[in-house]
Amino acid sequence: VDFTFDPTDEAFREEIRTWVRANLPADLAEKSRKQFHLSWHEISRWVALLNADGKGWGVPNWSVELGGPGWSLMQQYIFEEVLIEEDAPSIDVGGAKMIGPIINNFGSADQRERFIKPWMEGKQRYAQGFSEPNAGSDLAALTTTARRVPSVSGDGDDYIINGRKIWTSGGHYSDWIYCLVKTDMAAKQRGISLIMVPLKVPGVTIRPIIDIAEEHNLNEVFFDDVRTSAANLIGEENKGWTYAKSLLESERALSGEAPRNRRYLQILKKIARDRTRCGVPLIEDHAFGARIAQLESDLNSLEWMTLRALTAKAGGDFALPLGSILKVRGSELLQKITELHIEALGDHGHYVHHADDSSGTVPGPDYAPGLLNDFMYRRATTIYGGSNEIQRTIIARQFLGL
Amino acid sequence: MEFSLSEEQQLLKDSIARFVEREYGFDKRQKIVAEDAGFSDANWRIFTDMGWLMLGLPEDKGGLGGSPVDTAIVMEEFGKALILEPYLHVAIMAARILIEAGDSSGLIDAIGTGTAKPVLAHSEADAYNALNWVQTRAEKLTGAWKLTGQKSLVHAAVFATHIIVSARTSGKAGDADGISLFLVAPDADGLSRVDARLADNSRASELTFSNCDATLIGQEGAALPVIETAYAHATVALCAEAVGAMDKALWTTRDYLQTREQFGQAIGSFQSLQHRMADMLIELEMARSQVYRGLAFLGSDPATRDQAISSMKVQIGRSIKFTGYQSIQLHGGIGMTEDYLIGHYFKRLHMIDNALGTVGTHLGRMAEIERRAA
Repeated sequence: VDFTFDPTDEAFREEIRTWVRANLPADLAEKSRKQFHLSWHEISRWVALLNADGKGWGVPNWSVELGGPGWSLMQQYIFEEVLIEEDAPSIDVGGAKMIGPIINNFGSADQRERFIKPWMEGKQRYAQGFSEPNAGSDLAALTTTARRVPSVSGDGDDYIINGRKIWTSGGHYSDWIYCLVKTDMAAKQRGISLIMVPLKVPGVTIRPIIDIAEEHNLNEVFFDDVRTSAANLIGEENKGWTYAKSLLESERALSGEAPRNRRYLQILKKIARDRTRCGVPLIEDHAFGARIAQLESDLNSLEWMTLRALTAKAGGDFALPLGSILKVRGSELLQKITELHIEALGDHGHYVHHADDSSGTVPGPDYAPGLLNDFMYRRATTIYGGSNEIQRTIIARQFLGL
Repeated sequence: MEFSLSEEQQLLKDSIARFVEREYGFDKRQKIVAEDAGFSDANWRIFTDMGWLMLGLPEDKGGLGGSPVDTAIVMEEFGKALILEPYLHVAIMAARILIEAGDSSGLIDAIGTGTAKPVLAHSEADAYNALNWVQTRAEKLTGAWKLTGQKSLVHAAVFATHIIVSARTSGKAGDADGISLFLVAPDADGLSRVDARLADNSRASELTFSNCDATLIGQEGAALPVIETAYAHATVALCAEAVGAMDKALWTTRDYLQTREQFGQAIGSFQSLQHRMADMLIELEMARSQVYRGLAFLGSDPATRDQAISSMKVQIGRSIKFTGYQSIQLHGGIGMTEDYLIGHYFKRLHMIDNALGTVGTHLGRMAEIERRAA
């Protein structure tokens, strides 16, 4: 046991911070500071900046050979911390941690050229097509089909896609969607394949889903005889479930969102110092101060659990259901902190305001807009990415042997 | 003791339930939300015709002389349908202020007949529900009262016919004495308004007064007990609304668990979700019990009354944080969508949790009353 941080990690932190301060566009910082979601144009600008000059910071979890920086888990964590501390947008997580690694691991050289390269340059974006109306937590129940037929040109085969996907984040500005589809109707999990399907073609209908934060981030995507070339099948037919599972379980050490929780706690403290109740700063109210302290203690638990996960080795903590433990605690803590954001804002915590509102500002301090939207949006943290019910079942079944 | 409704109260409850069923389906509600005022005049006329606006008003002011239990029945039923019209702010809060202040201008009668919609502008951003924290000042200049200051989160100010404003006529913010109540016309010179929409789609405004003409109501400098009593009445009513909203959210969620299938079975067959719903029901019934208790102590001496009101609001907040929040969680993704009703229950419940004092504020008040009694 050794509790000291590696001094080179601190130098690394400074290097990242210096770059972010020099290169983060002011408009993106402003939007992120208020917790507003970025548009596709904004995300792609940021992705391109992070990857420019061969840095590969947009893919912090990738090896140098694959175009990433080859960072350790600890360095990736520090990178995430600095981005959030500096009000920088996060990386494009779906690309870096979902479809990118799958294509790198299981895709062809041609697919890496066609899909990875333009994405890293901020020229293309991919949506995730896993969930369906009747296949949420139970992904294996999906019913969207892909039927293999000779292509119209006679040059190889096509798949014809029929069905619908739901909760598709960013589907309205994505170029492709990586879909889990049934290719063998008889088999259950074994009959599922992973295919890249173009979104900007006839037969695709995208219906916006407005969330309770009144924002358009989610979509429902309908496929009506949509053709995609068999060259867009990732890996082998009927192995999509295995690939998807491998990526759902990756990156587990970062699933607690400890840096975001830390940032949100800082925001809470800032509000509590700035706002006064009957002339006295909220932070000086003993009861309110104690509630902040409780959240701080919860956060400290989460951070050190995360440090254990980042450095876990076989024979030690590695065997623990780390991802599930961190996901449950991190997501619930995020919700509690955002609840207190609103409470601390008092009368000014309830006005609806959107990033693109042209109707001027709403009453209250300048840090208030965005926090209500975020409070609403974060209700989803315990639902998405494998609901907390599913995570607890994983802990009970896979680790505790129940 | 008897916790079941009288025959008359049951009839009242049924009549509101029929109105809600006829006029307040989710789609109809969304149409009202989309209107500029976020409010339906037609519904307000129905409230008037049905006598609901005069229900809690004294008989010598043209009212029906109903008790707070009667208006709580209205609020609970309204809560089930997320009624947008400001019954709470006009027929309970403002009406109670006028009743306690001994107003005899005819304004109370006018609430009952639907011809006036006064609202209270008391809260200031710095007060966080400390009712004595009033910084807005009133000065008598050449025989007329003039107001200067700011009021925040004034509900329903957009369509109010009168604004009742609390202001200091003596002393400093935080003093119990020296607060007075004034009547201000919504279009008065020196009154400016910034309107906003709230998370639950109701409307509220920030009001700024600068040398604004005002008429004193009630006794000069002695308004705090009036405000405290009105807040007590409004808080019980608000909590009754919360019980209605939680009740509806709970059963809506129960229905969803019975129909939603995953892993080849209704998700309601999973024991962990069954236990969650059992806890939601426990929280709901604890909340309902405290609303009864709040109603029982509403007429007690101020310290006893306020202990009961705060205790009730604490339980309501706790129940909302479980029952309200879990109603989204158990719905999964569909619970996060604006087009589906459960998110709107969540938003209203979240606002109720934060309205008229949070759990923290009310725990503080309970502790303070206890200290003073010792």
